[in-house]
Amino acid sequence: MKRWTEADGIHIDVRGLSAPQPLVQILSLVRSIDDDRTVVVHHDRDPQLLYPELAEIGWSAEIVDGEPGEVRLRLSRSA
Amino acid sequence: MKPDAARPKLAAGFLAGATSRLLPASIPLRYFGAAAVFHLAAWIALAVGAAGAPRFVGGLGWPLAALHLVTLGVLAMTAIGASLQLMPVATRQPVRATWLPAAIWWVYTGGVAATAIGMGAGQPAWLGAGAVAVVAGLLAYAGLSARNFVGARGMAGIVAHGWIALASLVVVVVSALSLAFTYLGWPLFEHGSALALHVPFAAYGFMGMLALGLAYILVPMFALSPAPDETQVRVSAGLGAVALALAAAAAFVHGHATALRIAALVAAGAAVALHLKLVLLALRTGMRRELGRSFRLVRIAWALLAASLVLAFAMVVFPDVALLKTLFGIVLVPGWLLTLVLGMMQRIVPFLASMHKAPGTKLPRTPSSLTAERPLAVHYLCHLCALALLAGAAVLDSAWLSLAAALVGSVGAASFLVFFAILVRRMRLPPAPRSPARPPAPVA
Repeated sequence: MKRWTEADGIHIDVRGLSAPQPLVQILSLVRSIDDDRTVVVHHDRDPQLLYPELAEIGWSAEIVDGEPGEVRLRLSRSA
Repeated sequence: MKPDAARPKLAAGFLAGATSRLLPASIPLRYFGAAAVFHLAAWIALAVGAAGAPRFVGGLGWPLAALHLVTLGVLAMTAIGASLQLMPVATRQPVRATWLPAAIWWVYTGGVAATAIGMGAGQPAWLGAGAVAVVAGLLAYAGLSARNFVGARGMAGIVAHGWIALASLVVVVVSALSLAFTYLGWPLFEHGSALALHVPFAAYGFMGMLALGLAYILVPMFALSPAPDETQVRVSAGLGAVALALAAAAAFVHGHATALRIAALVAAGAAVALHLKLVLLALRTGMRRELGRSFRLVRIAWALLAASLVLAFAMVVFPDVALLKTLFGIVLVPGWLLTLVLGMMQRIVPFLASMHKAPGTKLPRTPSSLTAERPLAVHYLCHLCALALLAGAAVLDSAWLSLAAALVGSVGAASFLVFFAILVRRMRLPPAPRSPARPPAPVA
């Protein structure tokens, strides 16, 4: 698991982790953010179990372009 | 990196594409709905057969029907619905044909109803027909699950639990057919051996190993904790398999049955101790510390699982004490398994339902917005009271206490059904405008 910051937000790469580690790592990061920064997730599959958890804490996700074989999500606070 | 906004593919991330690992909501929900209905039917069947319940150790009648409405109608029904949806997600397998899970539901649900009527009313023909339908449904489910496990990527310990559960299911089916056809005069093998296989393989083998395996997914998922240590999960599965093999041997090797049963219980005790250590560690280290009423039920269920093994040991040491058999049955089925399933179900159902988008909107729904808390609070109190009354009825040999347990249990089951009906109704409505986010649960 890697984390780094770019201009478009905080990036987290959870590729290769077994369930439920991607969920735990992403939510751990999201819960630590108390401002308007976005999170960019680099995943190797569509994290369907993540979406209800995000909705519960007022965040939403959208898929954006990523590398081949990657599912890349941008997470942000719901409007 | 390419600009994020260049090509957003999905709002809120709710997917249902061709390669999705999500089943249509109607499929898992029909299993959960049937389980909620059979749960109520089970307590009503117990009320009808209350006179024979305090010393029940088997035989046709409404107590036997109530038992199987719980085991087949609630426990297995829920396990099938949950695993059909959760296993493709956990093992990274796409959902294939959806018609088969739907068809299995029709065959299996009809089979459970016919089996219960046959048992309760003492109609072997209904029982036999129902048993055939139940077996067909379970074997088709086993085939679907096996196909999923074969292609699984990762989570070997959990998949091992799944394989042991499926192997146990085959033993359960063969022993169940033998028992069912005993009433028609065509047993496959001796009644005592069939029963000695059927009880441990149904409770600890099929349901138990499935429950243990799914707990390794669900507990970290709900507690937001690290996954349990894979090696220890595999050891837990191996100990469970050894325990079941020893129990199977005890069913046929009559000369050494006591020693084999004690050895089986030692292995089962080690498997359960390791399992509880792992799931309790997950709860202690999770980001989400407060899991509410549902996990209070789950913790009670885990305590009753340990108690069931103590009672099983007492039954081996004191085989002539009939009360022990009845208490064992109460602690095992409505105690451990039913409490565990109802506790997990009140978290899983809203969670799975919230993975499907609301009609006519892209707004996400939340599990909490789909959950009606008041019916669950009523169910919680009634379920625990009913268990205590059932145990009291067995100890005091009181039909009145059995009837009271059944009536209180029926109120609880009706409340659970209301919770489910409200959830389905809320699913069909557009979500309410978003309110400020709920404060997150305490973080470790």
